[in-house]
Amino acid sequence: MSSAATIKSALEELLKARRLSADAPPLRGEDRRGRPLPTGVATIDAMLFGGFPRGQLSEVHGPASSGRTGLVLALLARSTGGGALAAFVDPDDRLDPSSAAAAGVDLARLLWLRGQGIPGQKGLAEAVAAVGTLAGSGLFETVVLDLAGVAEAERRLPGATWIRLQRTVEDAPTALVLLADRHVACGPGGVSLALAPAGPRWSGASGPGRLLSGLGAQATAGRHVLRRADLLLRTFA
Amino acid sequence: MYGGLHSPRSLPSPSALLDLAREFTPRVEARGPTPVLLDLFGLGRVWPTPQVLGRAILAAAQGRRIAAQVALAWPRATGLVLARGRPGLTIVPPGKEAEALAPLPLALLDLDLERSELLARWGLRTIGDLARLPAAGLAERLGPEGLRLRRLARGEDDGLFVPNAAPVAFEMTLELDWPVDGLEPLSFLLARVLEPLCAGLVARGRRAATLTVDLGLVDGSTHRRALRPAAPSGEPRTWRTLVLLDLEAHPPRDAFQAITVRAEPTPARAVQFSLLDPAQPSPERLEETMARLHSWTAGGRGGAAALLDTHRPGAFAVGTFAPGPLTPRAAAPGSPRVALRAFRPPRPARVTVRDGAPAFVAAAGVRGAVVAHAGPWRASGDWWDVAWSREEWDVALLAGGVYRIFRDRLREAWFVEGELD
Repeated sequence: MSSAATIKSALEELLKARRLSADAPPLRGEDRRGRPLPTGVATIDAMLFGGFPRGQLSEVHGPASSGRTGLVLALLARSTGGGALAAFVDPDDRLDPSSAAAAGVDLARLLWLRGQGIPGQKGLAEAVAAVGTLAGSGLFETVVLDLAGVAEAERRLPGATWIRLQRTVEDAPTALVLLADRHVACGPGGVSLALAPAGPRWSGASGPGRLLSGLGAQATAGRHVLRRADLLLRTFA
Repeated sequence: MYGGLHSPRSLPSPSALLDLAREFTPRVEARGPTPVLLDLFGLGRVWPTPQVLGRAILAAAQGRRIAAQVALAWPRATGLVLARGRPGLTIVPPGKEAEALAPLPLALLDLDLERSELLARWGLRTIGDLARLPAAGLAERLGPEGLRLRRLARGEDDGLFVPNAAPVAFEMTLELDWPVDGLEPLSFLLARVLEPLCAGLVARGRRAATLTVDLGLVDGSTHRRALRPAAPSGEPRTWRTLVLLDLEAHPPRDAFQAITVRAEPTPARAVQFSLLDPAQPSPERLEETMARLHSWTAGGRGGAAALLDTHRPGAFAVGTFAPGPLTPRAAAPGSPRVALRAFRPPRPARVTVRDGAPAFVAAAGVRGAVVAHAGPWRASGDWWDVAWSREEWDVALLAGGVYRIFRDRLREAWFVEGELD
């Protein structure tokens, strides 16, 4: 091992020994592509072998109220909470900042690009171009493109679009995640996480005073061997 | 030889005499608006005699409407004192300083009040009176300061000339032989202008906080763009990218034949890296990326969201994305949270109410019978401003999906706020 690598390894051991951070802060110039991005949800991270892979195009898809947005916000909370930058490209302007803040997202470190009201595929193409710029800059640890609710016809972009995005992000320490209603695209090393709603959870019997306490979901990942996990998203702690 | 320049009347600006002096020599000493001391050594090639030089200074002052008094002398302090004491032009040949200073009042030596009163009690009124006193007696009574004043009064000055630093202008102009149209050739021209400009800034420990680009158009007008990124930079490549992106968004209406680039300098920022904090993104690279996303961030459509301190639902503001150092935050919740996917604006809905609760919801993209619900939860506020009052329900539809709907109690209308996901 070279002396530089020895010193780096010793420093990381020192940081870990002092319990200064569960994940040591990235050292300048460090290549972190081998370390996946965890969501902070133990069952999901175990299913994904650590989290969403960097330098890959991944997706989280499912029908309405399947927990896909909550899960993606958990991923963004982990990224921004660790000091990294994240971006949320939102062509339909659906992000709720108070939900993001409640999920633990550091809003000051989340770049939110809201749709400009350009209808149809043109608006989506602009969003994809913005994603390419963000992924290619290498500054953002997580970049999310929210395609949930975008009409099927509009979402049908040329197949090469996703191949180009995958190539853009390959050399960057960025996890690119598509959030969609159904499968869109996934890179060769990326993760395709499918969520199915398992119904809302209510506190108490029907009547005044009852609250929505959470949403249940079942997550499935894998290409040849499917892995499954149950997920519960809460509305309040 | 030194030149003293003084104005007994008010000046058009605090730096009027300094600017006038700099017309003749860059070596100028000034501790205030007046008097100003010029180092005239080496100017004999342009102005062959002190009389010619003195008259030239007076004429320049007259041209600027400054009532000036000029004194040229070999000792530094003598020129200053004579400029303050005598009107017009005074030129003192070498060796005649004491004679020239003798009739002037003692007040011109800038004595403190105590010494001034002491010398007045001794009966001294003029600089000549002080110069005639014996050195030994003055030293016994006033110490080293007394000897210094005596030398000053006799025109024997051993003070050092300390020139003011000349202001450096960071500006480059490139005039072209023929007009140029388009951004591609401009990219090469900008490199020629920005590289020496940024090198000059960096050599002086400065960065450019603002860059102003003037394109001289063929129709005689000027297309001006001013750029002020979040972080000052001395990187020519960063500035070139920012300028090109800006001109792409705001192109000149004609071909141009001159480029002038002006930088507003600012001290370079010292960044202390911490071993324990995450590495901060490069400000220049972040600025470049944000400039490329200008069409998204313009008009507040992109940036960093911030929650407003109000109970009004969905209140937030979008500001400039400029992440600072990491601040300690509360740990993220242990399990993921349900998020609202908002409809902006909320979608008007037709809601069938049965037994006081929603039974059927119909809106654009949301339709179905309600199988379970929670609510109502009433909230209101801002009665002193733009009042709002609503009754919220979380409803699960038979067709799938859980939505938040609300009844606007002021308008008596139902809306779907968003999908809970």
